[in-house]
Amino acid sequence: MGEGTAAEKLARVRLNFFACYRCDWLLRLLDLYGGAAPLLKRPPREIAAEGGVMLETAQRLAAQTTACDPEKELLAAQKAGIKVLTALDEGYPELLKKIYDPPMVLYVRGELSPRPAAGIVGTRKATPYGLRTAARLAAELAGAGVAVASGLARGIDTAAHKAAVEAGGVTWAALGTGLNMTYPEENARLADRIVEAGGALVSEFPLDSGPLPQNFPRRNRIISGLSLATVVVEGGFESGAMITGRFALDQGREVLAVPGPVDSPVSKGPNFFIKNGAYPAENGADIVACFPPEYLFGLKACGTGGVKSPAEAVLRGLSPDGLAAFKAIAANEGGLSADEVTVALGWPVQRAAAALFELEASAAVMSRGGRYCPAV
Amino acid sequence: MLSKLRTLCLKGIDGREVLAEVYIAPGLPAYTVVGLPDAAVKEAKDRVVAAVRNSGYDFPSKRITVNLAPAEIRKAGTHFDLPIALGVLAAGGGFGKKPPAALGDTFFIGELALDGALRPVAGVLPMLLALKGSGARAVVPAGNEAEAAVSGVPCLAATSLKEAADWLAGKAELKPCEGAAQAAAGPLAAHDLCDVKGQAFAKRALEIAAAGFHNLIMVGPPGAGKSMLARRFSTLLPRMTFDESLETTKLYSVSGLVRAGRLVHERPFREPHHTISDAALIGGGSTPRPGEVSLAHNGVLFLDEFPEFSRPAIEALREPLEAWRVTVSRVKESVCYPARFMLLAAMNPCPCGYLGHPSRECSCTPVQVHRYRAKISGPILDRIDLHVQLSAVKYADWEALPKGERSSDVAGRVAAAMELQRRRFGSGARANAFMSGAELRKHCALPGGASAVLETAMNKLGFSARSLDKILKISRTIADLEGSEAIKREHVTEAVQYRMLDKAAELPAVI
Repeated sequence: MGEGTAAEKLARVRLNFFACYRCDWLLRLLDLYGGAAPLLKRPPREIAAEGGVMLETAQRLAAQTTACDPEKELLAAQKAGIKVLTALDEGYPELLKKIYDPPMVLYVRGELSPRPAAGIVGTRKATPYGLRTAARLAAELAGAGVAVASGLARGIDTAAHKAAVEAGGVTWAALGTGLNMTYPEENARLADRIVEAGGALVSEFPLDSGPLPQNFPRRNRIISGLSLATVVVEGGFESGAMITGRFALDQGREVLAVPGPVDSPVSKGPNFFIKNGAYPAENGADIVACFPPEYLFGLKACGTGGVKSPAEAVLRGLSPDGLAAFKAIAANEGGLSADEVTVALGWPVQRAAAALFELEASAAVMSRGGRYCPAV
Repeated sequence: MLSKLRTLCLKGIDGREVLAEVYIAPGLPAYTVVGLPDAAVKEAKDRVVAAVRNSGYDFPSKRITVNLAPAEIRKAGTHFDLPIALGVLAAGGGFGKKPPAALGDTFFIGELALDGALRPVAGVLPMLLALKGSGARAVVPAGNEAEAAVSGVPCLAATSLKEAADWLAGKAELKPCEGAAQAAAGPLAAHDLCDVKGQAFAKRALEIAAAGFHNLIMVGPPGAGKSMLARRFSTLLPRMTFDESLETTKLYSVSGLVRAGRLVHERPFREPHHTISDAALIGGGSTPRPGEVSLAHNGVLFLDEFPEFSRPAIEALREPLEAWRVTVSRVKESVCYPARFMLLAAMNPCPCGYLGHPSRECSCTPVQVHRYRAKISGPILDRIDLHVQLSAVKYADWEALPKGERSSDVAGRVAAAMELQRRRFGSGARANAFMSGAELRKHCALPGGASAVLETAMNKLGFSARSLDKILKISRTIADLEGSEAIKREHVTEAVQYRMLDKAAELPAVI
């Protein structure tokens, strides 16, 4: 890298301290002045006049970019093994460059290896149906060699990342915080596993940024921007998943949706997309089928659900008691509590407890808030 | 002239002998009480003057000094009225030149009304118990008769100052105290476990808690029956022994809560509101008084809406849960109250209460749920062995549910399991819940199938090593309830059900 580009990179990291929370107009200024370094040299008064921004904004830009220390930031990133990429660097994802407002700087922990990716997004308040569908889709995609992009949030995101890692695949998480922290905290271990499995955590926010509420909708454009297609699994009308879906459409990418019950509040979003022409996503193959053909080279055949579903194998391994309890649980929408299992089957506590333990240990059911729901 | 009367005072829940000395000297009329009296004792002056005059005696217009010895113990309460009044009469020559013989071996307790009548006072039982076996006797207000009779100390009941004075002068007799028989057979409990329909797991958890002295937390939506179950918990425990009953009554007596002077014969059930202060919960005050944990001694402390209790109050539970007593230290004194209670706690699954409800939607965010549960600190949760999830019962189910087992049947199993533990741990009030690490290894050896369960629990369900210890203890109690020496696989799989708050999947609860 020449000296000029090194200085330009430093200038972009400096500018990004301001840019990551603002918007696209900075990219326009970048074009106007031919780079971040010349831009930062201009006095605010001239930027305001030439760039068509308010003087106040230009002054704030100057103040905030002077206050930060990009050299220290780069050093800290280097120490933590975090790559700092700008559009000038090799390794900055090509697809992301093509969106309307690509991040000025992308911090990457792990490996952002070039490969087709699909986004799997959804609400934090997911239903068991959403969780298991997200997990199955992610596992099928990961198995075919597609990277699964999501946001490391609770609920659907977590289910997708986890399933991709467990299937031995690659998954990318776009965070709404700086890479020095994990939000939500309980996903710290999952984040490590993602990196160990050859995936990556990416963020456009400076290393020490906290979880500001306005960061999360913004990072959603990175999820869709990294992906050829985005699948909305569950989410209400106002959800972040809807935002991601709309970003994908704006970016000219495919949007798929997982059809859900018409009376489920968290299926309002995906069902809305389907009504407006999105493909329903039943399995991984449906998603891969939407990729432009040039991206299909090197991909393995994608699972199509049902056939390779783990459900049958799990159920075949159960004891008669376990199977009976599973059937009782599956027969009831919304699952059963432990007490309801004793009532439904007329079993004493000890027998029900043994069966529930077996089901939970074999991951045939999951318990949420004290209710057991089918997990397969 | 000088007179000396014997009386008693309380230090904590123990009685101490006190000598009330009254000296009447010539001089300007004055009245002084010395010997660390509190406000109520100082006020005795006005009551004594009025009572003496209204009983038909003269109150000497001289210089009167009352000393309560030993002077270094703080004296609190209104029961010094009677000894002081009699002392004034004696010192004034009301009983002749020589003090009556009865003064030497009789203790006097009682509060005076202005008309000279005697009123019942708090703390009679613990004070009298200090005299047990000494051969002394006591004169108490008639209102405390039954309580005094229980103490086993010969007591006489007086209704007024005049009666007591006449008895001292040898002019009349006093009625000896007679009260409830020693074996305090009260009426059967009004509640029974069979009143609660459904909730099989919660009922079973209560049974296990009672058998192994495991503390219990119930997690469930409003209306699931948490309080109803808690109220029935003591019906699963054996009847109080006479000594237990006496101990608990002492604490009630100190707090002035003994009803109709009767011995507390039902296990106490204390249910403080969640706004309670830490001092009220564990005991306190400038003159220390027992708190709710001590009033629950030998019984049940039920804390509903557990996370809503103030942090200091919850944390203050740590000492009594470990040591079965609380030491209340204040500048003036430091006292120790016993507090051996079962902790039953109840909480909603989330702030709105409807997480996991079959038909109502929970309106909490995962962060709120997380924060709500984190209010119960690790060290406290660590002292609660059993967690049980209750779910709302649907009306259709509820109608069809058969009545459950009667309390007496369950209590039978509990008593048998307690007997097994008594043999295992020898004397002392030990139970499975208090096994040390070494004892755990000794008494909870697992057969192959059962230890595989633990391994799965750890690897698949995300249990910590610490919760595995708890599972072992619970399994031991479940086996004891069956009378089984060995812990079997099904005991362990059942025990896993009672650690729901440990499951890794439960905390970031999403649904």
